[in-house]
Amino acid sequence: MTDLPLNRYAQEDWDRLAARQARQQRIVQIVLYVTLTILVIVYSMPSIGVLITSFKSNAEISRAGLWSAPAQLNFANYEEAWVNGNVRTYALNSFLVTIPATALSIALGVLLGYVFSQMPFRGSEALFIVIVAGMFFPPQIVLVPLFRLFNTIGLYDTLWPMIIVHVAFGLPICTLITRNFFATVPSALREAAIIDGANEGQILVQVMLPISLPALAVLATLQFTWIWNDFLWPLIFTQSDSSRTIMVGLITLKGQYSVAWGVQGAMSVIASLPTLFIFIFFQRYFISGLTLGAVKG
Amino acid sequence: MARSQRLWRIGFLAIPLTLYFMIVIVPLVYSFFFSLTDWNGFNPEYNFVGLGNFERIFSDPLFGNAIKNTVIWIAIALTVPFLGGLGLALILHQGLRGANLYKSLFYLPICLSLAVIGQIWIWIYQPRWGLLNLTLNGIGLEDATRAWLGDPHTALAAVMLAWVWQQLGLGMVIFLAGLTSVPTELTDAAQIDGANYWQNLRYVVVPLLQPSTVVVVALAVINSLKSFDIVYIMTGGGPFHSSDTLAMFMYDESFKKYYMGYGSAISVVLFLIALVVIAFYFRQIRALERIYD
Repeated sequence: MTDLPLNRYAQEDWDRLAARQARQQRIVQIVLYVTLTILVIVYSMPSIGVLITSFKSNAEISRAGLWSAPAQLNFANYEEAWVNGNVRTYALNSFLVTIPATALSIALGVLLGYVFSQMPFRGSEALFIVIVAGMFFPPQIVLVPLFRLFNTIGLYDTLWPMIIVHVAFGLPICTLITRNFFATVPSALREAAIIDGANEGQILVQVMLPISLPALAVLATLQFTWIWNDFLWPLIFTQSDSSRTIMVGLITLKGQYSVAWGVQGAMSVIASLPTLFIFIFFQRYFISGLTLGAVKG
Repeated sequence: MARSQRLWRIGFLAIPLTLYFMIVIVPLVYSFFFSLTDWNGFNPEYNFVGLGNFERIFSDPLFGNAIKNTVIWIAIALTVPFLGGLGLALILHQGLRGANLYKSLFYLPICLSLAVIGQIWIWIYQPRWGLLNLTLNGIGLEDATRAWLGDPHTALAAVMLAWVWQQLGLGMVIFLAGLTSVPTELTDAAQIDGANYWQNLRYVVVPLLQPSTVVVVALAVINSLKSFDIVYIMTGGGPFHSSDTLAMFMYDESFKKYYMGYGSAISVVLFLIALVVIAFYFRQIRALERIYD
């Protein structure tokens, strides 16, 4: 009888405390949301600016500046950028480099990753490190010799040097990710296949690859994005318009459209569309690639 | 059986290893070789100049300048994207509703090319129409407006800001991945023991984020050493070399002035610096594997 009021007080205290905590938490949350929203708006301004400018006519830009919302969606800049034959050539070249280089770097990386994870040999650990270290090499350290090499064998100013170099420089990340993925596959799977009389080639193609599709998707999104966005190699290895890729082409055309801001904006958007597509539809793979490649060596 | 296995192994290794050695390792060795010559990029012939290029490097004020700028670049890369990325990751990891949308907007710049990012930011710094000067005018700071990329005092900072804009998302992504691997039992236990949010962060979460930290640090330094595209597009290293980085300086000497021998010597220095980072990275990763395995 006597302890009932005590309990009631305790209960009320408790409720008050909980209510206060909930209130505090809500305030913290609101502050976080407001801060984040402001941050994100500021952070997105550059991208938004380009996007809206690409829809504005020159007259509108000179009247209202770069950063106002367009009065109407005007696709003339896109038309101008696209009708200009060079942009199409650049984009086509970018695809001609990016697709084979992405596919080949993954295919060859799979071979290395398979050997390093399933059939290690003496010194394979050291070799693995030498290859993965390539991920960290600034390309400048091989610029001069590669420039000389491709000049000597007559491939300068073609698409080949870019394909070859991107495959070679893609091997570190492809090897790392496939090796780490294959290492998680239970060895019983491979042993069973060996007992069934399968050779290593069959194990790789029929056992390993079908279960590695997520890892391959990760690599495809990563490699496509890096290669498409690359600027340095085409700058070094190409000279004529017919072999430029889009990122270098973009900078080349800038002079031609130096006052046509809208066209410049449209070209930037066009050049970013393929990687934006990947970002929107395959974001999960792309993001896990960024962290997978990173988190374990 | 063992023999056929060996054959398969050789078969698997042959093409990728040949390619890797031909395109990465052998040219690397050749860079050391060319750094001892006066090759000009056109003539097939060249002369050996011994360590002449290296003597020149250490008396070249432009090289000192590029080193200084690269060190500044690394210092910024180790603070802003690092702390900013960690901060954003901590906030966005709390399970706020709509966190995914915020995350996406923060890592959108990672998928953009530095060529495009350079273009975008040139607009922001544009003296008359650029967003930065417009904003400063709008809030009554007319005196602070300037040609950000044309002013030797601000060019480097302006280029770095554009770069940081992209790298911030990368730091955030890696720390977010690290945070998902922090077991909630540990943070809950610390909370029950009376740790407040900051103590929890300092003594439980941050130590457990060490693998991510190693990666973010290594990437920050390496990406700083690679910083070329955005410098080339925004300022070309100018004005008056005020925004030159090592990578930019190497390109200028080799492919603008055609001192390919000298450029190779610069690339050798660049490689030696990268080697330190690579050694750090692998040592740390090894140590972590020993702890976690």
